[in-house]
Amino acid sequence: MKIVGIEAINVFGGTVYLDVEKLAKHRGLDMSRISNLLMKEKTVALPFEDPITFGVNAAKPLIDSLSDEEKDRIEMVITCTESSFDFGKSMSTYCHDLLGLNRNCRLFELKNACYSGVAGIQMAVNMVLSQVSPGAKVLVIATDISRFMVEEGGDALTADWSFAEPSNGAGAVAMLISDQPKIAQIDVGANGYYGYEVMDTCRPSPDADAGDSDLSLLSYLDCCENAFLEYCKRVEGVKFDETFDYIAYHTPFGGMVKGAHRNMMRKLLKAKPDVIEADFSLRVLPGLDYCQRVGNIMGATAALALTSTIENGDFEHPKRIGVFSYGSGCCSEFFSLVVTKEGQQKLRALNINDKLDARHELSMEEYDGILTGSTALKFGTRNTVLDEDFIPEARETLGQPTLFLKQIKEFHREYVWLG
Amino acid sequence: MTMEKKEIFDAVVQNTTEVLPSLTAHEINSSDALKDLGANSMDRSEIVMMTLESLSLNVPLVELAGATNIGELVDLLYEKQ
Repeated sequence: MKIVGIEAINVFGGTVYLDVEKLAKHRGLDMSRISNLLMKEKTVALPFEDPITFGVNAAKPLIDSLSDEEKDRIEMVITCTESSFDFGKSMSTYCHDLLGLNRNCRLFELKNACYSGVAGIQMAVNMVLSQVSPGAKVLVIATDISRFMVEEGGDALTADWSFAEPSNGAGAVAMLISDQPKIAQIDVGANGYYGYEVMDTCRPSPDADAGDSDLSLLSYLDCCENAFLEYCKRVEGVKFDETFDYIAYHTPFGGMVKGAHRNMMRKLLKAKPDVIEADFSLRVLPGLDYCQRVGNIMGATAALALTSTIENGDFEHPKRIGVFSYGSGCCSEFFSLVVTKEGQQKLRALNINDKLDARHELSMEEYDGILTGSTALKFGTRNTVLDEDFIPEARETLGQPTLFLKQIKEFHREYVWLG
Repeated sequence: MTMEKKEIFDAVVQNTTEVLPSLTAHEINSSDALKDLGANSMDRSEIVMMTLESLSLNVPLVELAGATNIGELVDLLYEKQ
């Protein structure tokens, strides 16, 4: 039996957020353009939050719900990210330690921009399917935070800031992949992947993004079509409108997904605008909810859209979800899984919505205080103690134990659980 | 049979006004940049995709990303047909 899938999944959307409309007004941006982004809120990472705190806060509830025997079967921890703070040491080592996992465990990190999370899922799926260690579980932690400094010098690779700032967020999705797919069962072998070299968006220096947003958008659209067409070659009788009850797209911003879905519907089905609009509301919108509240969390975004779909969809009967992931540079994949009512109930028990509601709303003054740099944690920081009094509301706002970065001693990061 | 540049240009203009109806009464020239006409990056990709479709062309979108104005886009489409 080839059974594999997501045993448990959780989202951590941070402790503070920004209202995107207020941000746009504050920046004096064109409001009609901003409404086309289809974004509502974005999570902001505070100086004492890093990809480890986001990742471990996402994984902790999943690990706590396991028995000791089950926990000991986690034999691989993969961190999936483009926000790591060390070129050599993998963040999975910190996560493994903070979660108290068994030492007979593979620890490593994966990178390919926003594709990293799905790359991690697929590695985990293959580990389970290979049966080299029957019953083993894999913890996949996709975690990313936005960088705030724009790369200076040169025009070609300057990020379109008015798009990027309102849409780039911070967050993590943790997933337990095993032969007990309590949340979602993966369709084995149903994968269409498509990649090639393109210089669209990237992180060529330690603390900044660079990119050509037009090129990235076009590459995303090319990949979406080609990954899906490859999926169709490998799975018999696929129909874009009938095979998938929902589609969870990687969501740089909501408007992008709307455009991509419109393109797919038009190209594959010659659908008319009113049909496309209705189909978008029915099959895509459920997945957009969390993305509109957390922002683009790069490697974790496709999993965020998937989680949002499971949370908001109708699963009275088992339903198939198509997932599309695109990572700049680039690599993409279209794959699918099946979710049941029990899976949705198990996810809903984590109360992800309540956690998002409990975040502290940043004022523009507080937000600009984070950007202007004196508190920002630069890549390569050797020694520092984080300021506990900076936006103290964040530290207890969730009403649950939350991990924060306490200090860095000789490059080693030390964390503390609060609340 | 290869298309003339005029035919391609007309298709770009028609799709531009379809995406941005406010430009219907506006004269669009080869030297105009879609961005300056008010098209954001989603609008621009939409115009390119609709143009490919209306001309029955199948060209990877990323190969059309370099155009800085409508004339250059028409040239690229002309070369790739």
